[in-house]
Amino acid sequence: MSLLEARGIEKGFGGNPVLRGIDFSVRAGEIVGLLGENGAGKSTLMNILSGNLQPDRGTIAIAGREASLGSAAAGQALGIRFIHQELSLLPSLTVAENISVGRLPRGRLGLVDRGRMRRNARAALDTIGAMGIDPKRLAGSLRLGEQQLVEIARAVSHQPRLLIMDEPTSSLTAHEVDGFFAFVRRLAAQGTAIIFITHRLEEALSLCHRLVVLRNGALVADRPAEGTDRQTLIADMTGRASLFTYQPHADAPGERLLEVEAAGDGSDLAGIDLDLRSGEVVGLFGLVGAGRTELLELIFGARRLRTGRIEIGGRPARFASPADAVRRGLALVPEGRKVQGILPQHDIARNVAIANLGAFGRFGFVSSRRERAAADRYRQALGIRMTGPRQAITALSGGNQQKVLIGRALATGPRLLLLDEPTHGVDIGAKSDIYEIIRAEARSGRGILVASSETEEILTLCDRVAVMSKGRLVDMLDRGSMSEARMVELAFTGH
Amino acid sequence: MRRAHLRFLDVREASVALMLVAVAVYLSFASDYFLAPRNLLNVGRQASVVGMVALGQALVIIARGIDLSVGSVIGLSAVAGAIVARETGIDGLSLPVAAIVGLACGLFNGLLYTKLRINPFIATLGTLSIARGIALLLTGGLPVPLAGPAEFLGAGRLGGIPVSLIIMLVLAAVFVVIAGSTRFGREVFAIGDNPKASRLAGIPLDWVRLRVFAISGMLAGFGGIILAGNLASADPNLGLGYELDVIAAVILGGTSLSGGRGSIPGVILGAVLMALLNNAFVLLGISAYWQVVTKGVVIILAVGLDSIRRDKSADD
Repeated sequence: MSLLEARGIEKGFGGNPVLRGIDFSVRAGEIVGLLGENGAGKSTLMNILSGNLQPDRGTIAIAGREASLGSAAAGQALGIRFIHQELSLLPSLTVAENISVGRLPRGRLGLVDRGRMRRNARAALDTIGAMGIDPKRLAGSLRLGEQQLVEIARAVSHQPRLLIMDEPTSSLTAHEVDGFFAFVRRLAAQGTAIIFITHRLEEALSLCHRLVVLRNGALVADRPAEGTDRQTLIADMTGRASLFTYQPHADAPGERLLEVEAAGDGSDLAGIDLDLRSGEVVGLFGLVGAGRTELLELIFGARRLRTGRIEIGGRPARFASPADAVRRGLALVPEGRKVQGILPQHDIARNVAIANLGAFGRFGFVSSRRERAAADRYRQALGIRMTGPRQAITALSGGNQQKVLIGRALATGPRLLLLDEPTHGVDIGAKSDIYEIIRAEARSGRGILVASSETEEILTLCDRVAVMSKGRLVDMLDRGSMSEARMVELAFTGH
Repeated sequence: MRRAHLRFLDVREASVALMLVAVAVYLSFASDYFLAPRNLLNVGRQASVVGMVALGQALVIIARGIDLSVGSVIGLSAVAGAIVARETGIDGLSLPVAAIVGLACGLFNGLLYTKLRINPFIATLGTLSIARGIALLLTGGLPVPLAGPAEFLGAGRLGGIPVSLIIMLVLAAVFVVIAGSTRFGREVFAIGDNPKASRLAGIPLDWVRLRVFAISGMLAGFGGIILAGNLASADPNLGLGYELDVIAAVILGGTSLSGGRGSIPGVILGAVLMALLNNAFVLLGISAYWQVVTKGVVIILAVGLDSIRRDKSADD
């Protein structure tokens, strides 16, 4: 018998259907992976199963008895715990206090028994494989991944019957992930049902017993993990078959756009040689800290060139600032959308227009109408899902924000487009859209330099790849010699 | 979508407008004299210099800076303008000289920030002291008489309306256009919203910041000579503490201290509200010392409201 069984769940927000009749169940001791693009309805469904939201239609039964989950508290009383992606720790309290918050152990005189509180916290952290976290530390001083583990420890200390986790591994290190997975398996073996929302297909395949895929609010696949592969899952999630296949260019690359010779910044980069022609997509691969971002900054004038030289379109380029680079036909879509990309208090139209205001009016004036028209154009061309040009950019999903930033870069009419981790943190549908955009822009004659830490991305997109290691460019591979093994091997050259 | 229509007077401005109405309604009952045209025009005159200087301050704060020196720049520019007019015998020189001295002070602030990378709070705090000191040195602490066009701008009327009020409204209209429809205005908002992203989008950060401080200084210089013209005398202590009124007007008008957000109509409403509060103390016969206390309270309340609003939007 299922621990939880939901039937015919429907939910809409403001007239938009988000869930269209979902049947979903989970047994005790089962680990179910829940997959789907952003906006597919995963979080909404989990919020309904945990009592945070009420369905418009449909029923939920717990252990065979129909239950009405009027609130998160009602769900918790029935043993359901939902760990959200947004963390809810209190930063100025210690780890131990956070884990025990709401039911602090009391000693004599009614005072908090700190010793017992710490021992409880220690035990809870050890169970989930987080031996390295000291219960005495302040929650605010922990890394994001550690905070996530504390959050999980808190939920687990309530001994839930059903534990729902929304992307719990997104900020964990590889080592932490191993310990955490071992714990999840133990917990399931003890009879706890677990629902695991993730974007990482490998994790889902290796950890889960069963994989459920949502697409546009409908349940489109429910498969045992055994015998399922990535391609099948991607097809389930996107409705499209092949995503990660390289498409060779029809045309030969054109004139030389970028030439970098023995370039360095005097600290992080030295002796870089690189060239790029129009119509070409060249990858920059390397481990974290290899200097990919730094090299893009150097080419873009955000970092001072100290040694060597850089030529753009055959003319020397010594940019004092990114503004110079933009004038010479370069555009950068930076890594870290939130920190370096979006203007969070501006609407979509202004976010698109900001890099090339001169094109949206004359004599120093800017026409809001033309800005909005441009946003609408890119909405069409890049497939941005938005309600209108005046919508707040923060209301968009990561993938759509990234498309807006690509639109911003394209609005400057660049000859050379620099992309730093262009699909970091975007869902798989947006990823395939962005790949299409990159291919189309290359076909139209732009030169494109893509820094990425994903071998798959490089292999899918790039005609050549420059592999970096510890601030040096180790080798340039062309299609014939490009392989994951070779790239990774080269990336470790300096280590 | 409906939000677009509310842009011109969005929620932030609505709250200062409401406060304004509340104070005005209260005063019209509490004092027989409040609604007298002479009094209202007086309030308008008082609001005009604060409003003018607050326009520049608003750009500075939207771009994530702050200009604490405006009060002292008012004093120094007025004194410099009056002295040049007296020494040359050409009264008309007082205006351009004051504007240029203000502009120079603004550029000085801007260069300290963009070239020496001194935090604007500290840089303009230094200028606040330097400019006041120079004004005192130039005059030996004594007021300099002032006449001519400055007096007309400060104390004159056109069709019964104070000239300074007209100037302020014209400047406000210009700033609405600058803030909303020019490349420079867009860049100011973008820098305040996210300086790193703005730099990578190709906006010349330092050039925009320098201009923002220059404008603030020039408006303070211009405001200084108008203020002195109203009194027909340039006192080296003119504008003492004015930065408080100006910054309060900007914040009350809904400009976010953390940058990237603000509105020009709101700033003007803020300036009128500050003038109304000043007027209230006079009309109600409350000690001027209470006025000083109240100004501080108003600033704290305005900033407090701003951070509460920000927390809320962070929660959304």
